[in-house]
Amino acid sequence: MRLLTAVLRTIRNSRRLAIGLILLGLMVLLALLSPLIVKLIGGGKDPIELAAYEKWLVPGPGHLLGTDQFGRDVLAMVVKALSVSLQIGAIAGLISTVVGVIVAFVAGYKGGWIDGVLSTFTGILLVIPTFPLLIALSAYAKNVSLFQVGVMISIFSWPFAAKTIRSQVLSLRTRPYVDLARVSKARDLEIIVTELLPNLLPFIGVGFASSALGAIFGLVGLEVIGLGPGGVIDLGQIIFNAISTGALTLGAWPMFVVPIVLLTLLFAALNMVNIGLEEVYNPRLRGVAGE
Amino acid sequence: MTAEAPPVVAVDKSQDSAPASGVRAWLSRHPLAAYAIRRIGLYLVELWGALTIAFFFFRLMPGDPINTLIQTLQQNYIYNQQASAELIARYQQEFGLTGNLFSQYLKYMEKLVLHGDMGPSLINYPTPAQTVILRSLPWTIGLLGLSAVLAWILGVVIGAIAGWRRGKLGSRIATNLSIALSHVPYFFVALILVYIFAYSMGVLPARSAYDSRIDPGISLDFIGSVLKYGLLPGLSIVLIGTFSWILSTRMLMVPILGEDYLVYAEAKGLKGWRILTRYALRNCYLPQITAFGISLGFIFNGNVLVEQLFNYPGLGTTLVTAIQQLDFNTILGVTNIAIFSVLTAVLLLDLLLPLLDPRVKYWK
Repeated sequence: MRLLTAVLRTIRNSRRLAIGLILLGLMVLLALLSPLIVKLIGGGKDPIELAAYEKWLVPGPGHLLGTDQFGRDVLAMVVKALSVSLQIGAIAGLISTVVGVIVAFVAGYKGGWIDGVLSTFTGILLVIPTFPLLIALSAYAKNVSLFQVGVMISIFSWPFAAKTIRSQVLSLRTRPYVDLARVSKARDLEIIVTELLPNLLPFIGVGFASSALGAIFGLVGLEVIGLGPGGVIDLGQIIFNAISTGALTLGAWPMFVVPIVLLTLLFAALNMVNIGLEEVYNPRLRGVAGE
Repeated sequence: MTAEAPPVVAVDKSQDSAPASGVRAWLSRHPLAAYAIRRIGLYLVELWGALTIAFFFFRLMPGDPINTLIQTLQQNYIYNQQASAELIARYQQEFGLTGNLFSQYLKYMEKLVLHGDMGPSLINYPTPAQTVILRSLPWTIGLLGLSAVLAWILGVVIGAIAGWRRGKLGSRIATNLSIALSHVPYFFVALILVYIFAYSMGVLPARSAYDSRIDPGISLDFIGSVLKYGLLPGLSIVLIGTFSWILSTRMLMVPILGEDYLVYAEAKGLKGWRILTRYALRNCYLPQITAFGISLGFIFNGNVLVEQLFNYPGLGTTLVTAIQQLDFNTILGVTNIAIFSVLTAVLLLDLLLPLLDPRVKYWK
């Protein structure tokens, strides 16, 4: 309860944070309602079936965004793809965040040679260009489930989460209340859970959202160059279809513009949350500084 | 451990203020040198680690490159019978695929480090991989490098003004736009731009790096064509890049604006513009130069998606072709260049920054 009021107060203090969270919430809601929406569009039959309608129908009252090369309703596809993309992001984000948090806490809190080894390793992983590795990995993964794709992508996104959280742990570790807890003979794990974690929650949240977005976009990137795993229709797959079937020349703009707008909104929402949090936790950024 | 260790050494270790002799004492008297040595050591470890991980990762990919090569040759009617074991062995020898993985690794590293040799490429057999990469390098450096420089200049100037005149309508629009768009992938903008300018209006080319009817060379026609063809991909990178630099510059500016020395400058009756450039910007341009250096290191990654969309003959396109054909030498070549350039950029900045900025202290 106390946590909830604190969260609400934080949101009230920053309009950007509120707008960003509302946007994210709307996206998630849309994704959760996607089965219903798809049913509504179909009106009794499946609008994403091959040859459900005429192909390349122009946007109109029957099909708000028209149909694609197989006569599937684009709006229904986009809504469903959004939920797939978000699911992959959630899986990859969760895995990266958990691994990142563990690595960051062990490194940042213990310090010494453990920190040296872990940080160097994280640094090494950060400089290897991710995208070629992903392309290579897609060679293994021809027919994989949605969950496996999420796991695959999270392999590359945890170092970012670890790096961000570690720097926060380092700054918190030297705070007086942590010293006090140490002096009062609290165990390491106890200090981490009761003193450090609550203060790091917002940053962990941002880390989660960033890795999730990174994963979503990583997959979109793979799909766009035609190397995505088969059987997973996410937003990137729709963009790729649009490019490869000549939607650009046919003027079937909804097929690639709508997925791009949705993804752009996701990026924008996350950025607002990120900057809103920075402003809340670093009041000097709000206006003219004191000191 | 031998029992003959002289006791003097033990004493030496326990005293921090050792007499001025030996390496340790010299290092403690030259903190900057000690820092540089440690930093270069870390650089070498990271470089070796990254190259090694990349090597094993790509080598463990499924598929047989030699088989692919022979199939390609057969499809092109260069070779029209069953490949003999002898032939396959010779190709394996040539691509460094003989022996177990570990000995292959040692051989590869030896060639790379001692001779700068990456082995033959498969996508352009028998051209060496480094030649293939060198051919695509100028396109990537030209396109991404120029765009990065332009975006940085625009972003820092607009960002500084937006921070300076915060609260004014124009800078609020600039700030909010940057917040919304600074993390959007270049590729999205590129796709929209292509649709508008190349397909709907038909005013700009959508594919390739120059007009194929013009011979490459130092001529006005060719340069004009390169610029025309590079406009769309470049524009998409500059647009988004500018937004992210605006955002970071503003973030650096705002906390500075309340500082006493700015109030003093204003009290002296200096013009606003002069205060902005001489006083306020001086404290934010260093971190921005650092960030810029690192971003330049990253251009060697080649922007795979944008290059693919425009069919631009840069590193990114080369890399995708190489991965599709399992051309290990070229794949590793491109990733090694990317790894090397990022690490080196960061190293140089870490070494230079303490010399440029007296406030930076890396050593204890």
